[in-house]
Amino acid sequence: MSILAIHPGAYYHIETLEAPRYAHHFDVLVRPEDLPSVDLAEHAVVFIPCRTPADRLAPHAVQLRAYLDQGGTIVATGETNWDVFLPGITFTPQVTNWWWWLTPGADLGVRIASPDHSLFRHLGQDDLTWHLHGWFDPPEGADVLAVNGEGKPILYVDQVTTPGRMIITSLDPCFHHGSHFMPATTRFLDGFLPWMRQELDGARTK
Amino acid sequence: MTILMIQSHYQEPYSMTAPLFGDAIASGLMKIVREMELTGEDFATARGLITTTHLDQIGFQRFSTDVTAFLDRGGRWIYHGHILRPILAELGTYQPIPNPKRVDFVQTRLSEHPIFAGIDQKMLETNHGVAGFYGRGHNPPPEGAVVINALGPTQIPIDWVWARPQGGEFLSHAGNEFWGCGDDPEIKKQLASRAVAWLAGELN
Repeated sequence: MSILAIHPGAYYHIETLEAPRYAHHFDVLVRPEDLPSVDLAEHAVVFIPCRTPADRLAPHAVQLRAYLDQGGTIVATGETNWDVFLPGITFTPQVTNWWWWLTPGADLGVRIASPDHSLFRHLGQDDLTWHLHGWFDPPEGADVLAVNGEGKPILYVDQVTTPGRMIITSLDPCFHHGSHFMPATTRFLDGFLPWMRQELDGARTK
Repeated sequence: MTILMIQSHYQEPYSMTAPLFGDAIASGLMKIVREMELTGEDFATARGLITTTHLDQIGFQRFSTDVTAFLDRGGRWIYHGHILRPILAELGTYQPIPNPKRVDFVQTRLSEHPIFAGIDQKMLETNHGVAGFYGRGHNPPPEGAVVINALGPTQIPIDWVWARPQGGEFLSHAGNEFWGCGDDPEIKKQLASRAVAWLAGELN
């Protein structure tokens, strides 16, 4: 199988998806507008990076749903409007506190909610901690992997809304890594992308 | 003839930078067009162009002829972000500062430009006391470009303007929109209004 990444074309997408550090984690890069020419079922994972403009995926929502319905896995990171193109998403945005870390001893509050999950053999709590853009109300039965300071989900796995799997986070690592900014976001991708390759790319089924 | 601001990100209603340009939009001087809905006509009727840090640089290649013609006619273009898909042959790809330290973010005005004239560049150096938001590298200036602002002891050209020999001017800022930087709202307004005036050919 393989991992297909949506490529919306901003510099931070180009840097994250094409630069040598992570390029080997993505087998096929597809422009949102080219999705109709692709058979998604050939791919174990569809990766949708941060700040993918939702209106560029909206025309392809039916195709993405069909992919999930036949058991596909979609991974989508932050700062997009997931509900425009994916089912079962309920998101509450929050005002981002960019400056919390300026206070000595401050704690953003991010916590790993499922420490035994395989992802956390690759990531620690500090690798999830830079800032917050909002939280989700996942459907009953979803696996919550990480929460904010109020215990609200910021990273979860939904295997109940469709026969497939959606791994959704409001964290936005691609944008900041691709901007050469915020080392925690690079650490996140250093752990998350190898996990995605090892655990999601055909090695395991639902 | 209008100033064309290309909206590359999805957001309803559009609000990332629009408040600073409310008057220009209301008067019809500035037109905001979603990047996916752009046509060649938008460039043909523009005298100024703003592209944001979220530009789809891959998709934008389809307008290479249009932006070249726009510049040939004497158009002015403010480009934000890291150039990774140069749309003009003279442009190069973004070079980040490797492992930047605080000293690398010190900003220096190297030459005056009407958009920045009289504004203390130090006021744009930090947000909440934190440096690094303005820029962390540079887009390589073409031959003949004039560096406006530089970063660090080696004077990395973070802002430059290039009077293109074939016509038009291209102002590069290798970061997020420069009128969003710093902590002083009056400076942000001043930078935005001057950008409009410069793009309109009224500030020279």
